[in-house]
Amino acid sequence: MNDTVLVLSIVSAVVAGTPILFAALGEILAERSGVMNLGVEGMMLIGGVTGFWAGVQTGNLGIALVAGGLAGVVFSAIHALLAISLRVNQIVSGLALVIVGNGLSSFWGSTGDDPLIQSFNGVQVDPILPEALRDLPAVGPILFGHDIVVYLSWLIVAAAGYFLYRTNAGLSLRAVGEDPAAADAAGLSVTGIRYLFTLIGGFGAGVGGAYLALAVLGTWQAGMTAGAGWIAVALVILAGWRPWLALLASYVFGALRTLGFTLQIAGVDVPSDFLSMIPFVVTFLVVVIVSANPERARRVGAPASLGEPYSREAR
Amino acid sequence: MSVRISVEPRARPAVALRLGVPVASLLAAAAVGGVVILISGNSAIEAYRTILDSSINGVRPITRTLVLATPLILTGLAAAVAFRMKVWNIGAEGQLYMGAIVASGLALWLPAGLPKVLMLAAMVVGGAVMGALWAGVAAVPKAYFNTNEVITTLMLNFVALYFMNYLIFGTVSFWRDPGRNYPQGKLIPDAAELPVISHRLHYGLVIALAAALVLWWSLRGTTWGFELRTIGDSPSASRYAGMSVSGKIVSVLALSGALAGMAGAIEVSGVLKTLDPRALATEMGFTGIVVAAVARLNALGVVPVAVLLGAVAASGAKLQTIGLDAEIVFLLQGLIFLFVASGEFFLSNRLVLSSRSAPEPQLAATEASHE
Repeated sequence: MNDTVLVLSIVSAVVAGTPILFAALGEILAERSGVMNLGVEGMMLIGGVTGFWAGVQTGNLGIALVAGGLAGVVFSAIHALLAISLRVNQIVSGLALVIVGNGLSSFWGSTGDDPLIQSFNGVQVDPILPEALRDLPAVGPILFGHDIVVYLSWLIVAAAGYFLYRTNAGLSLRAVGEDPAAADAAGLSVTGIRYLFTLIGGFGAGVGGAYLALAVLGTWQAGMTAGAGWIAVALVILAGWRPWLALLASYVFGALRTLGFTLQIAGVDVPSDFLSMIPFVVTFLVVVIVSANPERARRVGAPASLGEPYSREAR
Repeated sequence: MSVRISVEPRARPAVALRLGVPVASLLAAAAVGGVVILISGNSAIEAYRTILDSSINGVRPITRTLVLATPLILTGLAAAVAFRMKVWNIGAEGQLYMGAIVASGLALWLPAGLPKVLMLAAMVVGGAVMGALWAGVAAVPKAYFNTNEVITTLMLNFVALYFMNYLIFGTVSFWRDPGRNYPQGKLIPDAAELPVISHRLHYGLVIALAAALVLWWSLRGTTWGFELRTIGDSPSASRYAGMSVSGKIVSVLALSGALAGMAGAIEVSGVLKTLDPRALATEMGFTGIVVAAVARLNALGVVPVAVLLGAVAASGAKLQTIGLDAEIVFLLQGLIFLFVASGEFFLSNRLVLSSRSAPEPQLAATEASHE
């Protein structure tokens, strides 16, 4: 029963949803501090090309993911400088990251004597749990058949939830995002906290991009994210800035992105272009539905200062 | 004695600064782009010489630059008019595709013997209307539910892209030429082709310039333009003053979409002569955002900036012959955007150097202790 359509599609949804989950978790933490970074797509691409390069060089999954994450950090630092210190409009700055990230990653991936675009995946991404567990009916592949990164992502979701709602540092983060003036008056460093969590957001997007290139696609292609970064940005809204809901929503979008594969093994014939459209149509509809219900929109609640630069004298 | 740097807001930047900061931003972008080219093992000087050579050296290169600048003027205007009201239409890309689909469809469907003027008018108006409708899909939820338009317009880009691909690659649609093995669009009739000014340069450029002029005048000299700018600065104050903010959001997004849709129609009629998804999906919509930002959302400023970015784009193929990947064009555009965005800071603020011993204005003191 482990090769039924349902089991296989859930497994592929988890794999396809994991890069989105990393990017969305990072963005949740950044936006909780009040900084909206629309550059996720660009940071994922730059993390993807760096991580894939590091994977080809070292053959080590851990090093490759960290390298991708650090590339995301470098990119998010540009956004932090522009949005927090120079108080540039955060939408403009985020879009600039997408365009630069797209251009730089495509250029890097296709230049040089051994372009990455022709390189083979240097990293093995294997399941880590014993075969006896993996062979259990249904729950085996769905719960125990994944690689270490998927389990790591579950740990991070739990840690992020605990951090946000159960620790003083999490309370400080939320305070800075909700009311930076009050947080400032209480002695918190608004600038410092915003920088830190914008960089952490970049790390999440970079790791997501690296995992996408190494484990999901297994190759580097220019523009390989194909909108995954934008879906991560939308997903933060849909998840109401909550890590647990981001986990769930990531897998739903993972399922939508692999729907073609699922329908193919189920023997249903739908034009592939319409299948590719589905995640974007669903995101559009859900974003509209969430905002159309004022009651729900209020309860979901974006951080109150989201997108607003903070400066003391401007109060 | 230590020196402090503090930030003070600037009331209204001088003209020299308003021109100087964008130019300095462009130079900074060129410098960083040069470093990237050097790191990749190529000569930056040769790269920039190639860009100049293949874009402005001679009639043929100039016409090529202007052909590439034409859609960028229109998508640049599309972004400028929406951003002026702080409505973030990131969907020019998709609105352009939808405009191209309708314009090519009309060209193939209307009788081929129709007078050229009628045919061209039908295509340009049809493309503009379709672009406006596609933007409207995101505009209505934005106006009435305050739905985040960055997300919705962007999602609609992908929907339009896959729909356009489907029409040519996914099925034998009305647009596709059934007589060919390789999926390809039908050629539009002669009557549907924009007349040529010189070499490949077509009269689409004139349409784009006229649009820039009309929009510039409307933004400055009409109540419509005044309301648009006021709503951009303060939606709540505008609502209090009796302006219809929702209606304005819909109309401005529709106008923005119409300009992008028109760009798609003109590309089909003036350049491609068929619905060619690969040639249309070259980020003309996104580049328009860069154009608008560099032009500081000024409709007339959009024209020279579009020509500049058209010149960079015109050199893409030539750059490959000296061993540089054509992707460098997108990198340069992105860098220009980034530096111009940071340049905004220096237009609206100034840095003040002061020594610790000197008496300081109150403003500087609070800022410095904040850092």
